[in-house]
Amino acid sequence: MKNNRLTPYLFLAPFLLAFSLFFILPVLYSVYLSFLTRVRNGFAPPTEVFGGFANYARVFTDGDFLASFFNIFLFGAIQVPLMLIFATAFALIIDETQGWLSKVFRTAIYIPYTIPGVIAGLLWGFLYSRNLSPLNYLLSNNGGTPVNFLDSSLLLFSIGNIVTWTWTGYNSVTLYANLQNVSRELYEAAAIDGATGWNVVRYIKLPLLRPALMLTLIFSVIGTAQIFSEPFVLRGIGFVPVNITPNTYIYQIASQDANYSYAAALAVVLALVTFAFSAFFLRYVNRSQSV
Amino acid sequence: MTQEPMTLPVAVTRPVKPAVKRNSPWLAVVMVLALMYFLLPLYWVLVSITKDNSQLNTTFGLWFAQPWHLWENIVQLGTQDGGIFYRWMLNSFFYSFSSGALATMSAAMAGYAFSKFNFAGRGWIFSVILGTIMVPSTALTLPIFLLINNIGLANTPWAVILPQMVNPFGLYLMRVFWDNGFPTELIEAAKIDGASDWRIFWSMGLPLVRGGLITVFLFTFVAAWNNFFLPLVVLNNNEQFPLTLGLSVWNNTNTGRTPQYTMIILGALVSILPLLTAFFTLGRYWQGGLTTGATKG
Repeated sequence: MKNNRLTPYLFLAPFLLAFSLFFILPVLYSVYLSFLTRVRNGFAPPTEVFGGFANYARVFTDGDFLASFFNIFLFGAIQVPLMLIFATAFALIIDETQGWLSKVFRTAIYIPYTIPGVIAGLLWGFLYSRNLSPLNYLLSNNGGTPVNFLDSSLLLFSIGNIVTWTWTGYNSVTLYANLQNVSRELYEAAAIDGATGWNVVRYIKLPLLRPALMLTLIFSVIGTAQIFSEPFVLRGIGFVPVNITPNTYIYQIASQDANYSYAAALAVVLALVTFAFSAFFLRYVNRSQSV
Repeated sequence: MTQEPMTLPVAVTRPVKPAVKRNSPWLAVVMVLALMYFLLPLYWVLVSITKDNSQLNTTFGLWFAQPWHLWENIVQLGTQDGGIFYRWMLNSFFYSFSSGALATMSAAMAGYAFSKFNFAGRGWIFSVILGTIMVPSTALTLPIFLLINNIGLANTPWAVILPQMVNPFGLYLMRVFWDNGFPTELIEAAKIDGASDWRIFWSMGLPLVRGGLITVFLFTFVAAWNNFFLPLVVLNNNEQFPLTLGLSVWNNTNTGRTPQYTMIILGALVSILPLLTAFFTLGRYWQGGLTTGATKG
């Protein structure tokens, strides 16, 4: 019976190697890059020199970037709660009902999750477009004015609709899976105590869903901070500001301006803010569970 | 959104459902309305692929128009730009399968190490990996691009496959499966019989954690299939594009030619069919991945 000390490390090696190369190293590299500053040299190509916190100072005075943050805060404050309310309601409905409609419902609301964000954005983009939208067709045939779904006042809602469409069913089914773990005794005890319908939902199901709901909330917050594909493909049908979300702005800085050091600083700030938010919610979950 | 939240499958014993079930007409109405909303874009897709561009513009989007152009769209999808669509599809399969297989294998091995061995650094290495679950993946995309560009991997399949094989949550999931699914006594018995560590892992262990393997593979595969941001930044050559990137390029009006919309819509439909099929055939594994660990903290 051999017990080689090296064995566990050999099992770890493939994961750790990939993890270091494509997770840790990029993070360290972009932190390093973010401390460089681009210097112009007359007609010669610009060079990168150590610039301390210059990029970070710029991040916090960059009106375009701050505006993109404001956008996703607004988005997160409206879309996320709305989506989770619907997801919870649908989960409860699936749990309360039976029969073919219930089965079809459970399956169909999950389908959008299997559709890539960029394809969902593309399809909704058609439904939003001035000429193709069936809604606009109905409106203009009945004397109304077509809606411009990409108007600056509507754009965030239009994106929010795509995200809600994609993720509500996924979250519902997740929450529903949690409801399945409720033991039958609990319901029987409740029935003996005379609890019916709404009371069971209010005093048994919702409290039991709470931890799962918090986890869903955290993933939704992380997801919100990352929105990219949907606004990116909507540019195909109309004007979408480059700083509609932090990610589209960072992409612009990197791809159009080729200012990698500044883009790296922006990415670091975005990651830190998201991390802080999810850590905050996670803490809240742990506290509320121990009470 | 590209974040693919996977939640922990606990070994669920499906509890017997309570006998009380309600089928109020109000709930049925709510379900029908929600179904209409969720299925509307798909219904629109099915209608639109039977049209040509001008019918798409001039006829009502939610009803069919005569004559049908479905066959033309199918032919055009297969021949446009030298039939590149199916090349993209193959690329998507190749990238997603490779990422999924590498992610599953590396997570299974590392999870085994954390579950069954005591070694120096075990605690803190696991904590570091777990801590990164909260790092948004797109925040990494740009750094990964910068790095990949620097080491000369840009515009190679590796640039898409390797970053997507890193799945910290998959590792966590596999560790839970090893903890619960493969008793340590079995390992000790096998060692007395002279089996090597690798043999114990491969021949005895893996079959017992099959559910975990399939779950990690599925979720990595879906994340890779749906990924758009990473291929967008690391690939230049349209021969190497996955479906998501290819279709969005076709749909882009800034390229100077009028996009053939109904063909693109058909392409979008074809591109979601594989995952839909997987969803319907492997349903129970999706459910497995969805049963959350939140109840366990």
